[in-house]
Amino acid sequence: MPRPLFILLILPLLGLGATAATLRDEPIRPVPPATGVDPARAELGRQLFHDPRLSDDGSVSCASCHPLASGGSDRRRFSIGIGGHQGRINAPTVFNSGLNFTQFWDGRADTLEQQVEGPLLDPGEMGTTWSRVVARLNGDPALRQTFRRLYPEGITPASIRDAIASFERTLVTTDAPFDRWLRGDDDALNDDQLEGYRLFQEYGCISCHQGVNVGGNMYGYMGAMGDYFSARGDGIRTTDLGRFNVTGREQDRFLFKVPSLRLALLTPPYFHDGQTATIEEAIRTMARFQLGREIPDRDVARIIDFLGSLIGNHPLLSP
Amino acid sequence: MTETFTQRHPLLLLLFVSIALATLLAALWEGDSRLQARHAARLIELKQLDARLDREVLQVTSFLLRQYDPLVETTRRLRELGRWIQSPEASFYGHEGDAVDRAADAYRSAMERKIDLAEQIKSQAAVVRNGLHFLPMAVQALENEDPRAYRLALQLLNRLLLFNLFTSQTGHDKIQQMLDETELLNDLPDDSRERLDNLIFHMRANLAGQRRLGELKEDFIAVPSDRLFSELNRDHEAYRQSTLRLNRSLKTGLSLLVIVLILGLWLTMRRWDSAHHAAERSWSRLHDAVESIAEAFALFDRDGRLVLYNRRYLEFYPWLEELLAGPATLEQVRQANADHLKPVPVSDEEMEVGIQMEQTDDGRWYLASDNRTSEGGTVLVRIDITRTRQAEAELRKLGRALEQSPVSVVITDTEGIIEYVNPKFEAISGYRAEQAIGQNPRILKGGERSPESYREMWETLVAGHEWRGTFHNRRPDGSGYWESASISPLRNERGEITHYIAVKEDITERRQAEQQLRMSAAVFDTTTEGIMVTDPDGTIRSVNPAFCRITGYSAEEVLGRSQSLLCSDRHDAGFYRQLRSRVEQEGQWTGEVWHRRRDGSVYPAWLSIATVRDKRGEATSRVALFSDITQRKEDERRIRYQANYDALTRLPNRTLLLDRLVQAIASARRERWALGLMFVDLDHFKGINDTFGHATGDRLLQQVAERIRRAVRESDTVARFGGDEFVVLLQDIRNAGDAALVAEQIIATLSSPFQMRGREIFIGASIGITLYPDDAGDADALLQNADMAMYQAKESGRNRYQFFTPRMQEQVQQRLSLEQDLRLALERNELELHYQPIVETGTRRAVSAEALLRWHHPREGLITPDRFISIAEETGLIGPIGKWVLETACHQLAQWRAAGLSDLCISVNLSRRQRDSGLTGTYLDRLLSATGLPGDALSLEITESLLMEDTRESIAWLSELKTRGITLSVDDFGTGYSSLGYLKRFPVDVIKIDRSFIMDLPDDSDDIRLVETIVAMGRSLGHRLVAEGVETRAQMEILERLGCHYQQGYLFSRPLPPEQCGQWLDEHYARRDCA
Repeated sequence: MPRPLFILLILPLLGLGATAATLRDEPIRPVPPATGVDPARAELGRQLFHDPRLSDDGSVSCASCHPLASGGSDRRRFSIGIGGHQGRINAPTVFNSGLNFTQFWDGRADTLEQQVEGPLLDPGEMGTTWSRVVARLNGDPALRQTFRRLYPEGITPASIRDAIASFERTLVTTDAPFDRWLRGDDDALNDDQLEGYRLFQEYGCISCHQGVNVGGNMYGYMGAMGDYFSARGDGIRTTDLGRFNVTGREQDRFLFKVPSLRLALLTPPYFHDGQTATIEEAIRTMARFQLGREIPDRDVARIIDFLGSLIGNHPLLSP
Repeated sequence: MTETFTQRHPLLLLLFVSIALATLLAALWEGDSRLQARHAARLIELKQLDARLDREVLQVTSFLLRQYDPLVETTRRLRELGRWIQSPEASFYGHEGDAVDRAADAYRSAMERKIDLAEQIKSQAAVVRNGLHFLPMAVQALENEDPRAYRLALQLLNRLLLFNLFTSQTGHDKIQQMLDETELLNDLPDDSRERLDNLIFHMRANLAGQRRLGELKEDFIAVPSDRLFSELNRDHEAYRQSTLRLNRSLKTGLSLLVIVLILGLWLTMRRWDSAHHAAERSWSRLHDAVESIAEAFALFDRDGRLVLYNRRYLEFYPWLEELLAGPATLEQVRQANADHLKPVPVSDEEMEVGIQMEQTDDGRWYLASDNRTSEGGTVLVRIDITRTRQAEAELRKLGRALEQSPVSVVITDTEGIIEYVNPKFEAISGYRAEQAIGQNPRILKGGERSPESYREMWETLVAGHEWRGTFHNRRPDGSGYWESASISPLRNERGEITHYIAVKEDITERRQAEQQLRMSAAVFDTTTEGIMVTDPDGTIRSVNPAFCRITGYSAEEVLGRSQSLLCSDRHDAGFYRQLRSRVEQEGQWTGEVWHRRRDGSVYPAWLSIATVRDKRGEATSRVALFSDITQRKEDERRIRYQANYDALTRLPNRTLLLDRLVQAIASARRERWALGLMFVDLDHFKGINDTFGHATGDRLLQQVAERIRRAVRESDTVARFGGDEFVVLLQDIRNAGDAALVAEQIIATLSSPFQMRGREIFIGASIGITLYPDDAGDADALLQNADMAMYQAKESGRNRYQFFTPRMQEQVQQRLSLEQDLRLALERNELELHYQPIVETGTRRAVSAEALLRWHHPREGLITPDRFISIAEETGLIGPIGKWVLETACHQLAQWRAAGLSDLCISVNLSRRQRDSGLTGTYLDRLLSATGLPGDALSLEITESLLMEDTRESIAWLSELKTRGITLSVDDFGTGYSSLGYLKRFPVDVIKIDRSFIMDLPDDSDDIRLVETIVAMGRSLGHRLVAEGVETRAQMEILERLGCHYQQGYLFSRPLPPEQCGQWLDEHYARRDCA
């Protein structure tokens, strides 16, 4: 058999094998594309996500606090709900939220479907009720028809929840430089980013921020190695108690879901209290209170470089 | 053909019916099993996920799982299945019975707990991993900076990493200790100190984290999800089995129905075949059928003629071959068989069902069934049960083994219900077989095993393993016993567990012996007494820790050596010989010996030796128990000393003195000696104590003791009797002169000054002397005499000695009898009050009267208070007497006031002892209201000595009395040492100037000045003044001039009995203020 032909034959095989084999064995995994989502339902969810009829006075939609173009969060310390109500906790990004193991800072919802109800019924956010929402949406014949087509039961709390959650499942940011590097593309990261990743591991950030979402798969104490709250001053608020508010267990005081760092650079301010305006300060705060050490400015800059490499693409996200 | 069809028609019909039924059944079966398969798949997945959760969580705790996404996926799926388990739509929960639901609930909540713990473990592991990751770098950073701090940190780090690998309490404590120590190092440069402190902070946090992680891990592992799953699965399986059984019986029933129908058809065919040639075919078919069955078969018709038999029948009865070849009858067959078959007794039951046994002469067993057919024929069916019989015999043998087994055997079903127990079980447990069978072995439970261990046992058994362990059980009569048990599952041929068999042995005695042994060992090791076990020849075989502690030898040093290494040279060889022979003869010895330690020092030991003998009575070893009694002996000595000697002066105390005195009297009596006993009491000692304090007083007493001791001979005894009293016992004196000489010496030596705190202190001593045998013959009397003589010496002016005289005795006697009489005086109405008026001199009118107590003694006549008030005070009689005086005086005053002397007051003397005998404010209230007197009608007179006491209690008492409005007077003012200060402190209203100042007026100019001073002083304090003992007109006048306007005395009136005083007052009454 002529040699060149033989090589041509086995090249694809080699390539396949190489792709699978060179997925680097790192504590961070690439974001998988959204699969198993009904595109029609997701599209309906997208409409609902931007529909202010889901709030009591028709002034607030999900997108009000989670504008997709700017990274899935409004970059405010606390979002503004109906009637100018100010929220009590920083709104996290909606991107990649389906990859989190629970929803909300305190993990009080297991699924995206459950999550939907939180802001919807919160008097300070959208402040409405299910019956009002269902009635109002039923008033829109086109929408009613769409629902009827996609859900045999029509417009119900369950179908609304499912549509929005379906949409949110599609909000994954894929093909980040770091993910490409994980898949074997050595050139995807520059030296600063690689150095940043090394520091990110060496300082111990990786202990909590790992997995596909670089966070979002465990709970951690805010202030594991130092008292964040007394250093912050201005007292303890209910929202500072974290998971304690869900379980009522003493050991869960100040325990929060570790947030994803995938879009961290796009979504200031930081932490549940939104008190930290810049990523530099956020990294230093984390080092001080979670790791019990100080990080030199040079290293902070490298870690920021690394965080930049985590940002993937999504059509609705304008980088 | 038609007939054939009609004949066959029912058969076909029945065939259709049975096929239809079977299909139906199969369909049902199929549907059900599909559901069951789905359930099984889910349960299997659950089990796998649970295992995966375990694996992943363990990976997390070992920091092997670098990212938690797989674990998140596992928990998510577990949650889903958990919800499925409890979801009623799954046709699982709420469909398979309460047991399954309960098990599902329990399993779900265990799973939730595990997931929750897994979450906590994730958080905790991240913190710990982070620390373990950071610390090596932080330590490395120290290397170039400060080598010493680096070494310390490295050491700590290694420990910490080691602890992470092999967690242990001691490891933990060790690190804590090292951290504490490192933290305390204070000679490091500030810079490295700071870094090191940061490191220590991290290490502490890490250590705490590791500990917490360890706890969480244990909690996680402890969640019995495995067991709960098995229970769930078991209950589910049980449910499935029961549905399966139902299906099977349905199927069986149906099949039976079909078979019955076929048989009925066959009989019909049989009848039809005898008439038709088609029977040929049937016949051969029947023949084939009969041939093919496993049983021996023979059919005889109504007339007993053989119709049909199969080959198996010939095989069973080979001897019939010839007979059956021809036209044989049932009778012939039976006869032929009779020669070859042994008769077997038949039970009623067997008779009833027409079944019997046959045994051939070559040992084969057949089950025989001879039945009549409907047409009167006979069917013989034989089944070879030889093997069954053999198995049965085997079983019977085993059964007998069980029955006679020396161990107890219990067989239970899989639920643990007892199905069989052997006689030994009955003997050990006290339960009869019929009581035990059908019960759960729980009835035996004695309660010393925890529910966990029972659970563990069941888990082992259910898993199909043998379980060994011990039980503490209880008999019906309540007595407990221990059993060692081995429980194994019994399986059937398909490998399924059908029963459990427990083989148990009563180990109560063994256990008790073990316990005894363990206890003995513990005692041996922990007792404070030295224990030494030797051979009969004295070679040391074993010693305990206390032995080593006491003797200083280590066990290795003494084992194998002779016990004589303990012997000291305080005992001679004879002692040890005697000791040995006693031990040999009597087997034991107890006593005090002197032992020698390893360092050569000798100590007293309390030793007990006992002999251990074997069954034949031969001595096998000796056990020596001993304790070091050095301390005990020292204690004894000290206690003896304390009991007999005064700690301060080291002189013999009262106890020892009495002892010596009794001995001295005994020897004096024997030897006809004289003894002198002296009571020495220091003068002015109380003043020293008050002025210089007790410490000085104590030192003085020590010096006094020393001086007295030096003033007497060695053979004499000086003892401290208490306080400042000493007693000197002079042995063997010739006469009183000897004693007087010693007394003089003592007085002289105690009169010379003592040097104390840089100054000289003067004291003296009063000594009372009594002589044996002249004054008394026993110790008590002698001591009393000396005491009395000492008082006499004191009264006659101190610093002198006084011999006892019989007159002293008399005085004492007198005083005693007076005391006796005084006790009766009140009830015999021997007491009386006299009254002496107090007069305002300007008007010469009486304003008040002083009540004065008189005692009309039956023998001695009138006795004045100065002779008996002190006795009343000492005996406590002052209480009732004082009250009597107050009450009598008040009633008298009330009477007088009623008679017109409406402003008259009364004055009553008060003893300080009355404070303790019930004279309170409330008492006064009652008295005043009973007599209707106002408080200011009563004046209480106190002495200067009461003022001098100056105690808070006295002031409080008097102040309380004063609040009732009464007047307080100081009697005999000027005789004591009271000063202005005392007067100011007390709420005094009136001062009564003592008669001794008045006596020599108006001639004595000193007294004039004194009275003048007292009056001026009294006035300046706002007190009124009363002069006592005014006898002449001149005295009255000068007192008046000096400013003392109230007077009392013979000039006006002597104390008078009430009636006379009343008369006097009538004549001299003046309406004036009281005084």
